[in-house]
Amino acid sequence: MNVFDHEFRRKRDLLWLLTKKEVTLKYKRTVLGIVWSLLNPILLALVMFIAFKVFMKIKMENYTFFFLSALFPWNWFSASVVMSTGTLIGNVNLIKRVRFPRHFLVLSTILGQLVNFIFALPIVVGFSYFQGEGPGINWLITFPILIVIQFIATLGICLMISIVNAYFRDMEYIVGVVISLLFWMTPIVYPLKMVPEAYRFYLAINPLTYLITAWRDLFMSNHIDWGSIGISFGSSLIFVLLGILVFQRLGKRLDEVI
Amino acid sequence: MSDIVEIKDVWKKFPMRRDRPGLKEFLVNLPKFINGNSNSNFWAIKGVTFAVKQGECLGIIGKNGAGKSTLLSLILGTIYPTKGNINVSQEITPLLDIGAGFHPDLTGRENILINGVLLGLTKDEVLKRIEEIITFSEIKEFVDMPVRTYSTGMYLKLAFSVAINTNPKLLLIDEILSVGDEAFRKKSKDALLQLIKGGVTTIFVSHNLTAVKEICNRAIWLDGGKIREEGIPEKVVEEYLKYSG
Repeated sequence: MNVFDHEFRRKRDLLWLLTKKEVTLKYKRTVLGIVWSLLNPILLALVMFIAFKVFMKIKMENYTFFFLSALFPWNWFSASVVMSTGTLIGNVNLIKRVRFPRHFLVLSTILGQLVNFIFALPIVVGFSYFQGEGPGINWLITFPILIVIQFIATLGICLMISIVNAYFRDMEYIVGVVISLLFWMTPIVYPLKMVPEAYRFYLAINPLTYLITAWRDLFMSNHIDWGSIGISFGSSLIFVLLGILVFQRLGKRLDEVI
Repeated sequence: MSDIVEIKDVWKKFPMRRDRPGLKEFLVNLPKFINGNSNSNFWAIKGVTFAVKQGECLGIIGKNGAGKSTLLSLILGTIYPTKGNINVSQEITPLLDIGAGFHPDLTGRENILINGVLLGLTKDEVLKRIEEIITFSEIKEFVDMPVRTYSTGMYLKLAFSVAINTNPKLLLIDEILSVGDEAFRKKSKDALLQLIKGGVTTIFVSHNLTAVKEICNRAIWLDGGKIREEGIPEKVVEEYLKYSG
């Protein structure tokens, strides 16, 4: 067997196993196991439905669908960022004693969270049948594109945060605050048009606004918003390049600080 | 015979920093910090040069703090040299902290798989050897239980079995491990010796000078981060003993 081919297959297997570890570890010692990944979003949807319909009586049409169509992609992003903050410092043993590509730890964290997002999709599909246009051909085109864009953007941010946190543990607390700020600065709970004109600028400079808008457009109206997709893609490239740069630069001395 | 490991004038420093510098000190030193400079440094390795040829067994001796473990980590590639070059043209099997990649909540079998891949095999290759590994480890009936339920002995036995059965090409050993009970200890030592005598390139750090004389065909005496003596093991060990009194 070719050496490069062997190396490639080994790396692929390693990434697969690390991701699998990420997913299985989460449900180790539970009775329902991976079923929780499916059950969690269903229960969440139910809670939201009751909260919005019964308690808050929100007038907006299909508000639960509106909220969830943005919340699920957001959760993939935010969970990845929060988890990856600790992924390097949480694997000191591996980093100090085994030689392997360290960015695989970050990759597997994001991929592990992607599994959760995929498991939440049946809810979105269900809502789209009852309250939207139903999943159409546009889903097939846009879904993989948006997955890739969000993956790239998240990767860039997670690479940066995980390595900076190794040097500067205050990062963990900063991330916690910034994530909740970002949640409210992205049109997830409210539609963009509800924001007063004067403040829209602050949402417009947030790349996540475009990504979330693109997801919601697809899920709710089976519509491809190429403008938002383009902006998301552009900013994701910037993030990932920056992330790789910082990760490589600081990675050389990771052993001294971890 | 080609050089498997090539080390050219390698230096490694560790910055000595306080654990919590405080905001003022942090901001003042930020540019230095980013560039890896620090007011006080500890040089663990100071200009070491040597090479290891295919099939050789190199012993490294020296007192505590001489830089032996740092040197092994540099060869392994988990830390980077501050200056100098290190070339390694083989997949390395470290027997430094065996079981470093084990996760307590995964079963023995899951851990074998993930560690085998970490040590340089593909998943298929590990699966092909998995029965061999389990048999060697002598913990067959527990292999599908989470590793956290293992005793220390069982844990080390399994970790050693994975490492030794990954078809090593370049072994890094920090002390011959005393794993498990008397019988397993003998078995693991024999397996290791068989590999070394069989021509697997080995770098062996030890305080056991008899073992170094017995196993290695070349030795290096490391002192204060520098090579003090290099040559045939008997001579190097003799010099070292003379010095240590």
